[in-house]
Amino acid sequence: MSGSEQTKLHPNSDQSIAGVGYYVYCISDAARASQIVESGSPVPIEDGATLELIERKHLSAVVSRVPLSSYGEEPLAELLTDGAWTAVRAMRHEHVVEFFSKRTSVVPLRFGTIYLDRSGVEQMLNEKSGQLTEIIHRLEGREEWGVNVYCDRTLLLENITSVSPRLRQMTEEAKQASPGQSYLMQKKIEVLRADEAKAEIARAADEIENQLRSVSDDSVRLRILKVESTENGELKAKFAFLVSKSNFENFRNAAEGLARNLGTSGIKIELTGPWPAYNFATA
Amino acid sequence: MSSPFDQVLIGSDIELSDDSELSLLETLDHVLNRGLVIAGEITIAVADIDLIFVGLNVLVSSVETANEVLRERERRGIAAVSPVKQPADQ
Repeated sequence: MSGSEQTKLHPNSDQSIAGVGYYVYCISDAARASQIVESGSPVPIEDGATLELIERKHLSAVVSRVPLSSYGEEPLAELLTDGAWTAVRAMRHEHVVEFFSKRTSVVPLRFGTIYLDRSGVEQMLNEKSGQLTEIIHRLEGREEWGVNVYCDRTLLLENITSVSPRLRQMTEEAKQASPGQSYLMQKKIEVLRADEAKAEIARAADEIENQLRSVSDDSVRLRILKVESTENGELKAKFAFLVSKSNFENFRNAAEGLARNLGTSGIKIELTGPWPAYNFATA
Repeated sequence: MSSPFDQVLIGSDIELSDDSELSLLETLDHVLNRGLVIAGEITIAVADIDLIFVGLNVLVSSVETANEVLRERERRGIAAVSPVKQPADQ
């Protein structure tokens, strides 16, 4: 049960009692936005509504009405703890933003920006028009690409032992030592290997960042919220790059080159995109 | 042409493969954690979103939830990102 049909105060209330809010997806140039909605309109975050454009200062906010019985502060906080409910809404949010970002430069907003009335959205556009216009210009003709760096630990450790002269020498010495000494040396080798693996991951991540930065317009290293183990190994670093559409082939070639070089030593690269420029929509 | 990437996720025109859990998580990460924060009358606090995302990460990893979301996406014909398995480079 999503709970979206329930409200605490008015079990049978409809939108006219609970009120409506304006959910904002993204902001773009007003003239472009009105052309785009003529070509079609994606499904908004809640059924039964339609996308609307709220226009001020040559900018349009792409919005749809949402019932405050679900999107009011308290009910929303509760609904967000329902993974399926949130995931579906997040996908719809993305779908709307993508629909516009594939056709023009947009400022994608974070999930869950809701105004209680139309004039709130208008006021925001008025107040922030300078900043928003600047972002829209900066993102024109560009897309965001994500780069995830994974580590296959077994492969990395094997590779490190084979390329490190010191580790090779220690391994040889351990073989010839007495059982007691050998045990202690093995411990030392393990610590050293782990240190070198860590250093190698950091070095590889820096190399990826530097090389891809040189073929992109902007970059950001993202924090990893949670250690993710996937079939690719452990996620070790995460980047977003802002890439001109006209320069994408160069970016892709550079990324493929890195993936080829680093792949043998257990560092894997994954490219995702193109995304609306979520990570570069800052002032 | 073979590619050294295990997965390249490209928007639109691509059929859903069974590995779409990854693209789902990527999408949730973008939508919930990134994007310009403009103070609305109701704007989810950043700290809350971190918790929600970490929680979702676990929830979405359950096949059931992922399938439900994907069915929803298919029903609506959402041209969301989905992974393409590139031919293995070996």
